[in-house]
Amino acid sequence: MGKHSLLAQRWNIIWIVLVYAFLFIPIVVFCAFSFNNAPFPSAWVGLTTRWYQELFSSTEIWHALYNSLIVSSVAVILSAVMGVFFVYLAMQGGRIRFMLSHFYANLVFPEIVLAVGLLSLFSALGISLGMWALIIAHTVLGLGYVVPLVYDRYQELDYRLTEAALDLGATPLQVFTTVTLPLLRPTLFSASILVFIVSFDDFIFAYFCAGSTFQTLPLYILSMLRTGVSPIVNALSTVLLVFSSLLIIGYSSLKTKFRVF
Amino acid sequence: MNIKKLFLPQIPFFLGIPALVWQVLFVYVPLVFILVLSVQSGTFESFRAFFTAEYGLVLVRSLFLGLSTATICLILAYPVAYWIALCAGRWKNFLLFLLFIPFWTNFLLHIYAWMFIMDRNGVINTVLQWLGLIQEPLHLLHTTASVFVVMVYCYTPFMIWPIYSALEKFDVRLHEASSDLGATWWQTLWHIVIPLSLPGIRSGFFLVLVPAFGEFVIPELIGGDKVMFAGGVVSYYTLHAKTSSFGAAFTIITSCVLCLVLCLIYLLSRRFMRHVTHGKV
Amino acid sequence: MKSVELRGVTKRLHGEVILENINLVIPSGKFFALLGPSGCGKTTLLRLIGGFELVNEGQIFIGDRDITHLPSNQRSVNTVFQNYALFPHLSVFDNIAYSLNVRNVDKSVVRKRVGKIAEAFSIDRHLYKEIGQLSGGQQQRVAIARAVINEPDVLLLDEPLAALDSKLRERLLVELSDVQEMLQTTFVYVTHDPFEALTVADQVAIMNNDGDIEQMGTPREIYEFPVSSFAARFVGTTNILKGTFGVREAGFGVDVPDVCFFLVDQAGALVPNAREGLQAFVSIRPEKITISRRLLEGVGAPKLTGRVANKVYYGHSTMYQVQVNDGIALRVFEQNEEHVRQEEIDYDDQVYLYWLDKNVVVLER
Repeated sequence: MGKHSLLAQRWNIIWIVLVYAFLFIPIVVFCAFSFNNAPFPSAWVGLTTRWYQELFSSTEIWHALYNSLIVSSVAVILSAVMGVFFVYLAMQGGRIRFMLSHFYANLVFPEIVLAVGLLSLFSALGISLGMWALIIAHTVLGLGYVVPLVYDRYQELDYRLTEAALDLGATPLQVFTTVTLPLLRPTLFSASILVFIVSFDDFIFAYFCAGSTFQTLPLYILSMLRTGVSPIVNALSTVLLVFSSLLIIGYSSLKTKFRVF
Repeated sequence: MNIKKLFLPQIPFFLGIPALVWQVLFVYVPLVFILVLSVQSGTFESFRAFFTAEYGLVLVRSLFLGLSTATICLILAYPVAYWIALCAGRWKNFLLFLLFIPFWTNFLLHIYAWMFIMDRNGVINTVLQWLGLIQEPLHLLHTTASVFVVMVYCYTPFMIWPIYSALEKFDVRLHEASSDLGATWWQTLWHIVIPLSLPGIRSGFFLVLVPAFGEFVIPELIGGDKVMFAGGVVSYYTLHAKTSSFGAAFTIITSCVLCLVLCLIYLLSRRFMRHVTHGKV
Repeated sequence: MKSVELRGVTKRLHGEVILENINLVIPSGKFFALLGPSGCGKTTLLRLIGGFELVNEGQIFIGDRDITHLPSNQRSVNTVFQNYALFPHLSVFDNIAYSLNVRNVDKSVVRKRVGKIAEAFSIDRHLYKEIGQLSGGQQQRVAIARAVINEPDVLLLDEPLAALDSKLRERLLVELSDVQEMLQTTFVYVTHDPFEALTVADQVAIMNNDGDIEQMGTPREIYEFPVSSFAARFVGTTNILKGTFGVREAGFGVDVPDVCFFLVDQAGALVPNAREGLQAFVSIRPEKITISRRLLEGVGAPKLTGRVANKVYYGHSTMYQVQVNDGIALRVFEQNEEHVRQEEIDYDDQVYLYWLDKNVVVLER
């Protein structure tokens, strides 16, 4: 679109470069300093991989990571499955359809409000805080993303495809599995990834609902931030970053449409 | 509608309903609980306790933080989203990928990194001293400015996404038509592009305002413990069992305030839309 | 009203050459049609004039003014887009008034001018409606009104009727023609439908798949005297036969083996390089051939005989496909002049074909 005045274009590019640089400063910094041979915070001393070595030998951090992965994975599965079925049910018409809008509420309330509420509920019902409490909380979070996203995409689906399948003799169940679900798959996939990230990253719900014994990765990091930090955290985040980037690049090169490079 | 019902594949009720049950049980019931909790210890005692100037200030402060963060994010994000959606061409996927990376790294780690960067012995000071621009290290942490920087940093990607989604659907021919009719690039932006991407702007604004309003970790860690924000008050009162009803009450107060502000913004955006679409230059 | 001239214009897109060394003069004040198959580059050419693409080489002039490097908002050219590109968030009034509003024209002047033009296009009743509430024909009128309110030197139209049904299309074509006459603005109309071009244009340019201008002329000229098989086939239907130039007692013409010898009037004038033995094509349009089961009186001997292989009824006419030998069939178009036919021609009938020599067109390629 070279129709914009060249001046505007130039400014736009500068702006974007600046914004992106801004977004990447901390990332570059903590990746770089994960190799620094000195504790936080200090000037650059020398190259070392000792933090990585410590990272791989520390059990606490892996335990926390493991917990986070479990919670997030379960939450994703629960919210994706329940979410998709609910949207499907709602689209069949009737009063249920109006219930769809309720799920948008999850984004309107600050997490802290929902977290406080859940805490009250759990203590009133006598549910002990811990892994399952957190999974419940994260599923709520997940539904708030899955339902709106899937619903949005569902509306864009061409209903004539469903009609064509029925016309060709498919049973309702076959239509769902062979037509609807595959068409929803990309959205479900991206919604799942989004939920996974949000859940993995979340510490507000964890702060309130995980209790004293169950620790997820964000909680572990939070505790380190408060007490004293060690570049092990830098090392961990660098590892996670590299790992997930490779995942994305690997995945996208399989599907040329989303080619990154 | 009826015919559609006949032909749409039927799904068993029990498969679809868990989501709704979940929502009711784990969102609405807790909210009711908060309500109940807040009035537990005698009528509106716990509410009254917060009607002081001090707590009013806390709310105003949080609102200010939320609104200014959202505004700054909007200013930063819009050109980026515009470029990626409409001008990037081959680079689009790459830029989106880059944008995604901050999402993959933990929120808290970002805060940690900024603490690191802005510390007295941190990156900024080291670099500036090395360049000879300053003699003494600057006092960057524990200032309002630094809180803003980190807030904007954390929330800008949330603003870019919805705007990008809205702009992606933008019909380029409308831009050409506007230009064809004599409008400059700025006029096209103001009269055509922005109005049509307003839903995206609005979602982005809300997506940032709501969490930013309730934010307490960033102000605490970056800004120091000196000032109280709404989220901090809630967490403080809630996690101390004896005062949980106060926590609940304040939660309700903050939710109401937030709700009000959201409605206001929504109405304002509609007025803006009406203003711009009536040819007023 | 100004003329449009393209000099040596070349345009490349994504490494591919779309247009090469185009030289074209569009006369001022006329309804000019740019006709060509989909993907030939005609839309690209239009966009070059409009300023939505920039030329790689060459120049574009509006009248005497060189606009080659001007952005689209500074050219005195306006466009009616294919899908109209009406601004969905603005009312009809604001859409039409847009070009005036961006120039900060006074409100009362705007109201007057919009009102006047809306009346001229019979859309004054719809002025305050939303775009989504309008029908296709109404939208087109809004799009045109929006484009002409500025009184541009040239109006570009990019297949504006493509999405409409045939009845509506016919009506709007007439309206467009009237509008052009009323405004006397130079219209450049891009289409892939020969019918549209023939109906409304004063001048037509045919563009071929390589992006070159195949032929330019009035509708009658390009229809009756195409310069190539492509032009002949693209505009309407025709019968094209391949043969060689030759001389017989009757005169100069084209010999098509196993069919007949086509005597051609003034062959020399039409094809200056005509030489005996050279490959040539003849084109004879179906409506120029008369078909009959009986020998006709007073018109000389029949040119050909054949067997009716196919017959299609169009209401106002009937199209016959006549097999003249094993390989070649000619299409013949016969108007259904009579309510009840006196002589019914049916499948497998043996028929005689007649035509006038002057209705045969000789083509080099």
